[in-house]
Amino acid sequence: MEIAQLALNALVLGASYALVALGFVLVLNATAAVNFAHGDLVMAGGMLAAALAAVLPLGESLPGLFLLPMVMLGMAALGLLVSLLAYFPLRRGPPVSVFISTIAVAIILQHGIKAAMGPAERVAPPILSGEPVNLFGLSAGRQGLATLGVAALLIAGTAFLLRHTQFGKRLRASAQDPDMARAIGVRVGVMIASSFALGTALAGAAGLLFANSYFVSPGSGGNLMIKAYIAVTIGGWGSVPGALAGALIIAAFEVGVAAWISSPVAEGALYVALLLTLVMRPQGLFGEATGRRA
Amino acid sequence: MADRTSLRVTDAWSLGPAVWLVAALALTFYAMVYADAYAMRVLTLAGAYAILALGYQFVFGHLGALSLAQGTFFGVGAYTVALLGLHAGTDYLFNVAAAVAIAVALAALIAVPVRRLKSHYFALATLGIAEVVLIGARDWEALTGGANGFSGVPGMSLFGLVVPRGWGEFAVVWVVAALLALLAWQLRRGLPERLAAIAREDPIAAQAAGVDTDRLRFVALLLSAGYGAVAGALAVPVVRVISPEVVDFRVMIACLAITVVGGRMRIAGAFIGALLLYPLPEWFRFLEGHDLIAYGVVLLLAVLLAPDGIAGLIASLMPKKSSGAAPTSTGELVRPTAVPSRRSSDGATLEADGISKRFGGLVALDSVSLRIHPGEIVGLIGPNGAGKTTLANIFTGQYRADVGTVRMGQHELSRWPAFRIARNGVARTFQTPAMAGALSALDNVAIPRAFMEHRFGRGGPEQRLVRARKAATACLAQAGVADLGPAPSATLPHGLRRRVELARALALDPNFIVLDEPAAGLGETEAAALAETLRALAESGIGFLVIDHDMGFLLPLADRLACLYEGRLIAAGPAAQVRADPRVIEAYFGNALPYRTKPTPETGP
Repeated sequence: MEIAQLALNALVLGASYALVALGFVLVLNATAAVNFAHGDLVMAGGMLAAALAAVLPLGESLPGLFLLPMVMLGMAALGLLVSLLAYFPLRRGPPVSVFISTIAVAIILQHGIKAAMGPAERVAPPILSGEPVNLFGLSAGRQGLATLGVAALLIAGTAFLLRHTQFGKRLRASAQDPDMARAIGVRVGVMIASSFALGTALAGAAGLLFANSYFVSPGSGGNLMIKAYIAVTIGGWGSVPGALAGALIIAAFEVGVAAWISSPVAEGALYVALLLTLVMRPQGLFGEATGRRA
Repeated sequence: MADRTSLRVTDAWSLGPAVWLVAALALTFYAMVYADAYAMRVLTLAGAYAILALGYQFVFGHLGALSLAQGTFFGVGAYTVALLGLHAGTDYLFNVAAAVAIAVALAALIAVPVRRLKSHYFALATLGIAEVVLIGARDWEALTGGANGFSGVPGMSLFGLVVPRGWGEFAVVWVVAALLALLAWQLRRGLPERLAAIAREDPIAAQAAGVDTDRLRFVALLLSAGYGAVAGALAVPVVRVISPEVVDFRVMIACLAITVVGGRMRIAGAFIGALLLYPLPEWFRFLEGHDLIAYGVVLLLAVLLAPDGIAGLIASLMPKKSSGAAPTSTGELVRPTAVPSRRSSDGATLEADGISKRFGGLVALDSVSLRIHPGEIVGLIGPNGAGKTTLANIFTGQYRADVGTVRMGQHELSRWPAFRIARNGVARTFQTPAMAGALSALDNVAIPRAFMEHRFGRGGPEQRLVRARKAATACLAQAGVADLGPAPSATLPHGLRRRVELARALALDPNFIVLDEPAAGLGETEAAALAETLRALAESGIGFLVIDHDMGFLLPLADRLACLYEGRLIAAGPAAQVRADPRVIEAYFGNALPYRTKPTPETGP
């Protein structure tokens, strides 16, 4: 039973990580550049949810589910702003410039929010409130189940958007081969901006989920960033399903090692495992989705 | 920007000795006359950060590898000096030496697996290492004192003499900074910084030009670690406290911001950046502890507005120096084979034997065997996706075959890294020409040659470069672009870049050259001129493997043709025989299409 409980915990954590990684890999594929601000955008989403709950009339009693669309919309706008400030001016430069500009955005977000809201941990209202549910003898908070449900819905929705809509096809086309996409009339710049908006909206949703399951503080972004980065690396650079699988693996690893030994050891072991993966299989566990034609 | 074709002008020192002297005097004057104890301490620590940034320039600036572990080397240096001073009571200088040794050893340990990684993995791996060290500093309380660390770290002492607080520490830090700046200048100027430019802009193309990019990164990482450790070892006796703050990501961010804002490759940049940014919190007191916002804003502005940093901006305002050692074209055609030293493999055949290669579930090549004799031109044809470029990549070491070997004489090339294959007789060009845009066409050809020490490397670096440039001029002439020499290669049109790539291949004095679609995008007369060049080179003894779609170009040129289809070699032999082979016609042209010697562009209504 204990194992099953741990598995459930890992699944809930993994679902949140998966949302983080999904937003990260969408922007990565659109721009071929690492958005190092992604973790701090997740944090910003959580802080936005907490701030909205504090100022809206119904306040803390408002279920998180109502906040979700507002947070996602606000974050989409922030994503557009980030792309205009830190990506588009550097589009023609080397990818490392975007890496650095997004590091700068990450710093500004982290310390800007800290200045505005203080360094303390914040909690967002739960998605659905109520007593923990017992499922076949496993204790699952409603929040955990709701997290799982919301994450699954958002991931499925994004998958549907990418695979079955005109918009999604254009998005994928411009990520795969921008020149070809441009040649057949896709407005690649618009698609990149949309990827930023979509990826950041997903980051916001992830932030909201984190902000009531695990708390969020202005300093949380860096850690989340690394988790998304690792998920995408072990899942195969650029692969969307790989990123989701990578997120679940990380969560299972963390929950498992933390229960077995301790949290700091789990964190350290994760990095050591990452380094070993990079050395043994630099293409990730399942192979890279993007390759270079030499 | 400084004139890069000149050997004399080094970008790093472009401000000139007089400016440096004035700046040093001004800093000393300010410190002596105006600075109080606190300002003195800030200036001293800024000097340490300048050293940190100087080290970071090796790996991040010159090689373009985004290491996120530079702050960690600072921390390792600081912890080593602090813990030895606190617990072992050893001499300060000994502690500094130990700090450098430990940081460099750590870097070597890291560099072995990490140096090959592509940029985004390199960043992540170094970030992972930084996190592991941070966790260690926080949680290994017995050694490090945990999150609180230790206070009472002993101050500096030199040969038993205690260095006075304030001006004494200031003098030590800034003298060391000046010496390390001189060392960095010596290590970088001339050939190394140009070689680094080639490795930075396209590592794969650099390897194909015989540049050992792994070794460059290895050396750069060790240097950056050594500089970082010295910086930490100088800073901690000034601060007198050791805690996990010294391995925190903030140190890395400060270092990155200093390097980007000051200038990624210029010595002056490290100093300008450190003196501007380290005191930044003092300048933005109104931000009240949120000074890192200012770091973020300044970093963003620098990336957007001044990619070469403030030192780059200043240098671009200074009058350009004229080049002292620019070679003049003699117009004389030097055959690349007219080089005195001969290889043991000269006269040998290049042979691929039973090559298979899979990518995941896709079989790219299925037991392909192909042989190229010296002086022979072999054309490789096949529809898109047949595996032609994969085969080229296996010949020159960009890919490893799953099964099979590539040999040249007694050498088994398939065991060698790409740069070694290029240095030892098999050069290549790429479908999309790749070269260092900041360097002149001439230097793109000359620099890799100057570094092939065992063949062309006698004499000092300057002599070597002059000699290599002379040879490169001849190679450019052979490739039909004699007058391109000084042009920055970033401005060249695609077709001319192809020619420069061919010249770069020739400059390696190869026995064989693999050309991936050399005629793509060329007009009919240009293609004919290229064919003529290749013919002449083949007559001088170079063997060619030419991949191309243009049968009008390839048929008259090739001695033999080989046709790949879905990863298998379906025909090989004299050109006339292969083009008449029904399997080739079916695979390559489709049996429904009438045979055409030259595909004509489709003209729609």
